[in-house]
Formats: sequence, structure tokens, C-alpha cells
Amino acid sequence: MSFFTVSGLTAGYGGAPVVNGVSFEVEAGSLLGILGANGSGKTTLLKAVCGILPHEGSCALETENLEKAVLEELPPRRLARLCGYIPQRSGISIDISVLEAVLMGFNPRLKLLEYPSREMKEQAREALQAVGLGGREEENYQHLSEGQKQLCILARTLAAGGRLLLLDEPESALDFRYRYRVLELLKGWLRNGDRAGLAALHDPALALNYCDCLLLLAGGEVRSLLRPGSDSLGKMEAGLSELYGPVSLRRCQNRSGREQLVMLKEEEGRQL
Amino acid sequence: MNSTKHFTAFPMGKTKMLCAAGAALLAALAAFSLFTGKYPLTFEGMLRGDAMQLRVFWTLRAGRTAVGVLGGFALGVAGYVYQTVFRNPLASPDVIGVSSGASAGAAAGILFLSGAAAVTFSAFAGALAAVCLALALSALDRTGRDSTIVLAGIAVHSLAQTVLMCLKLTADPERELASIEYWIMGSLNGISGYSIGGNLLLCLFCLAALFLLRRQILLLSAEEGEARMLGVPVGRMRLLVLLAATLAVACVVSLSGLISFVGLLAPHGARLLLKRDSAGTMLLGGLLGGILLTGADILARSAAATELPVSIFTSLLGAPFLIYLIIRGRQRA
Repeated sequence: MSFFTVSGLTAGYGGAPVVNGVSFEVEAGSLLGILGANGSGKTTLLKAVCGILPHEGSCALETENLEKAVLEELPPRRLARLCGYIPQRSGISIDISVLEAVLMGFNPRLKLLEYPSREMKEQAREALQAVGLGGREEENYQHLSEGQKQLCILARTLAAGGRLLLLDEPESALDFRYRYRVLELLKGWLRNGDRAGLAALHDPALALNYCDCLLLLAGGEVRSLLRPGSDSLGKMEAGLSELYGPVSLRRCQNRSGREQLVMLKEEEGRQL
Repeated sequence: MNSTKHFTAFPMGKTKMLCAAGAALLAALAAFSLFTGKYPLTFEGMLRGDAMQLRVFWTLRAGRTAVGVLGGFALGVAGYVYQTVFRNPLASPDVIGVSSGASAGAAAGILFLSGAAAVTFSAFAGALAAVCLALALSALDRTGRDSTIVLAGIAVHSLAQTVLMCLKLTADPERELASIEYWIMGSLNGISGYSIGGNLLLCLFCLAALFLLRRQILLLSAEEGEARMLGVPVGRMRLLVLLAATLAVACVVSLSGLISFVGLLAPHGARLLLKRDSAGTMLLGGLLGGILLTGADILARSAAATELPVSIFTSLLGAPFLIYLIIRGRQRA
């Protein structure tokens, strides 16, 4: 059995299901990227996995004592301790400091009337340092740019820990440099112990170079599952072309010799 | 980057300073309120043990001042809770029909019961019924969206208004209708020191619960799904917090009648002054509410030969203050 298993997930918003019968597995320490065109069900899938949306099917996660926890059956605080969730946009609507926004992440570990400890504050500061927001702890969260808010929420989730991280387009508001930084951070976090990540991504270049496995979603169903590390370019091109129209892939090296996959757009209507 | 820091950073001492200043002003107003009114009270007279003065003090002034201070405080805190939890700057306990429920209850009390205490009780029962109905209706919607509570509240509000209208139609226009209208206008006049203990105690209890849950209230300001993934049992916690805030308000309005603007203005004032959200903002919102209501009540009983409705003055004092804060906020930004 894998670290995290999703089987037969069907979810929607009352009408026809937006995500239909999705099943997949994620190994410990790996990052699964979810790719799909707008409206293909990426967000719905993530929301169903963390139980925000009512759904059919089940999600099972390996816990500390190697048992399987069915996420649907967990009480909210236990679920929140196991899974971190980064929405596309955080709904924090009040004027709190950046540090306080990060400290919100410790809530599942605190008793109802308890307050974050000194160590938690220290961890929160370290997490802010790691995402590049060091020294801005006392600033108003609302005055940050959208990208900085995403970094702050990432810091919140990384500091809070958990075993499964669900990220909904964490890169959407970030500049070129920070997109790579965030994915590096995520990979670093995943290397430390029994953890797994699920990220809906918009940027195929990022997904191809950082994810261990790619779930291609179209019309709420899994079209194909790609492994950028081992699959042939041809197979990946075929899969990605289904989502984005004709594309081709190249392997390139940067100056330090590190290989990267690059996706190029091909002319519409042209035979590949 | 360093230059912008000064504008966005939160000065830590400011909250404490403003809360201390607010508390001092509220205490001064409360003291002033104890000694303002038709019957003159003096320190010397009361120390001498003047029976009449002591009676006026305990039966009239003490109760009235306590309701002004605590009632204003409760309205401010409840307003803050509502605005934060609903993520809507216009939310207030009135949204879920507590005031209209209290009005309908008071009208029924005036028509069918006798005595001020019975009217208070009836108003409280009306407020409670409205709140329970609104929350029960919203519980029918399984999706648990926060807008459902607002919609249910609006429905209950108009239902209570209709009941009130029907009661008014049956009322004798000379005496009963006038009492109903006067009750609805709101006044701290006629609050006697002996009949308010239960209300104030319950109100204090609810306020204490809200301050204990202050961290959860701020967490509820995140979106539903996000708050849930932060380990907040959103549905239950929101219900608990709203119930406490609304009960506190019901305790006040069942004594005083409608008091406009305090619940809306006081939290905004606190937020505009502090420019941040914390338990301190909630406290300052309460203090501002107390200041506003106590100050308005002092004016209501001393501005004219007869008692005036207190809402005239809460709006008269509050509106310019809010306008000032808004203009100041715009210039700073």
C-alpha cells in the first residue's frame, strides 16, 4: 500500500460531478502535481481530498504508527494536524500581523483556550525566514502583495507540519524566481520524513521539473499519469497535448549542467 | 523597503495605551453619569447618609449607569464579533433579528402583561426566540455557508416586524401604542437598580466567554474551508460565538429598547484607531461602545426638560466620529 491513496473520488457542487471517479496513489516523500486546463477540477479535487467538499470515495493516509487513517472519518482537529491546506487565495480578511497569520497554523495543536508557545513563535519566525519574509513579522498581512501572502501561508503550513500537504496553485501569484524557490522549499520539506504533497499547478515547466508524478485531469477525470523522471518524451507530449493543445518537450541543460524539461507550444492543427 | 515598514508595522504599545485611555474615559463618564440627573446628588450628602440621596443613587443612578457602561460594552463587543465572523463590515447583531425580536416581545409584554420587569422578560424572550429561530433555520442548510445565517436572520427580522405591526394594530392608541413606540425608541430611563441583576450577570457571562474564545473568533475570519483545515470546528464554533454575542445583546436591549449605531460604530472606531485586529481591538470596541452609550445617556437626560430617546444621541455623537475616522483613515492611506 502506498503512503496516500485516493480511491473513487467523486465530488461536485450539487449538480453534475466536477470530479468523477478519480483514483491515484502517492508514495512517501514524493510530490504529485495535478495538471489540467481551467475548470478541469483541480481545485475541486483538492477540496474533496481535505474534506471541505462533501464527496464519494475515500482517501487513506499512513499515520505515525503506520496505520491507515481514512481522512473522511477523522475529527476536524486530527485531520488538521495531519493535512495542511493552502487555498488559491487565503481568506484572511482582518488586519493581523504576518507572524500572527503564521501562528494560526498551530491551532490544531493547541487547546481551545491555549495560546502559541515561545517555541511555536520561534518556529514561525524560522518558517518566515525560509520563505523570504524574514524581518517582516510585525507588518500587516493585508499590506503584503498577493505573492507574499501566498509565501506567508506557505510558511504557516510548513511550520505547522503535518504529513500531507495540499496546495492549490501555490505558484499562481509568484514571480519567476519565487516559483522555483517555493518548489525547492516544498521538495526540502518532503525529504524530511514521511510526508507527501499534492499540488495543483498551472505552470507545466515547474510541474515537469519538480513533481515525481503528474496527474493529468480533464473534464474531472484522470487522462493519464506521467512520471517525468522515467517516461519517454513522446508519452508525455501526447498526454500534455491532450490538455493544452499541441506541445512538444525538449530536454535542455542550464549552465551548471542540470537538465530541465522545457515545454514548447506548437501550432494549432499541426500534426505532431 | 525599510521606509515602508514604519507605515505598516504595528506599534505594540498602542493597543494598551488606547485601551487604558478608553477605560479611563469610560470610568470618568460613569462617575459623571452617577451624579447627573433631575435629582441633585452630592458626595457630602451621600457620605452623611442622606436617605433620599442614597435611595436615588441605588435605585435610579447605579442601575442606569451600569446598563449604560456594560450595555454599551456588550454592543461594541458583539458588533466586533459579528463583523469579524461574517467578514462583513455591515454585520451587527441586528442582522439576525435580535432587536426586532426584542421589540415584538416588548410590545407583547406591554399589551398582555403588567409591570416593567414583565416587559423586560417578555422582550428578552422575544429576542431569544428570534435568535433561536434564525440559527435553527440556518442549521437546515447542510452546506453551512455563513450567508445562510444572514438570510435566515433577515427572514426572522421581517417576521418579527410583522408580529410587531400586528400587535401595534391591536394596541390602544392612547396608552399602549405610545408605550410601545417609546420602548422601541430606546432609553435607559426607568431602569431600576433592583430588576437588572439577572440580565447583567448573563451579559457578563457571555462577554467572558467571548473574550476566552478570542483566538477562535479571529480564526473564524478565515474562509470556511481554510478555518476548517486550521482545526476549527467551524459550524459549532460559529454557532457558539454568535449565540454568546447575541445573548449579551439580548440582555441589553430587553432592558433598554433599541439602541442604534453603537454595535456598528464602536468596532469600526476601534479598528480605525488601532488599524489591527486582536483581542485588544475587541476590548477597545467594547470600551468605545460603553463610552458612546453612557455619554449619550447623560445627554439624553440632561439636554432637555424631558427624557429623550438615547438613540438620538448615540447617532448624533457616533456619526461625526465615524466620518472623522474615515476621513483620517483615507488621508493616512
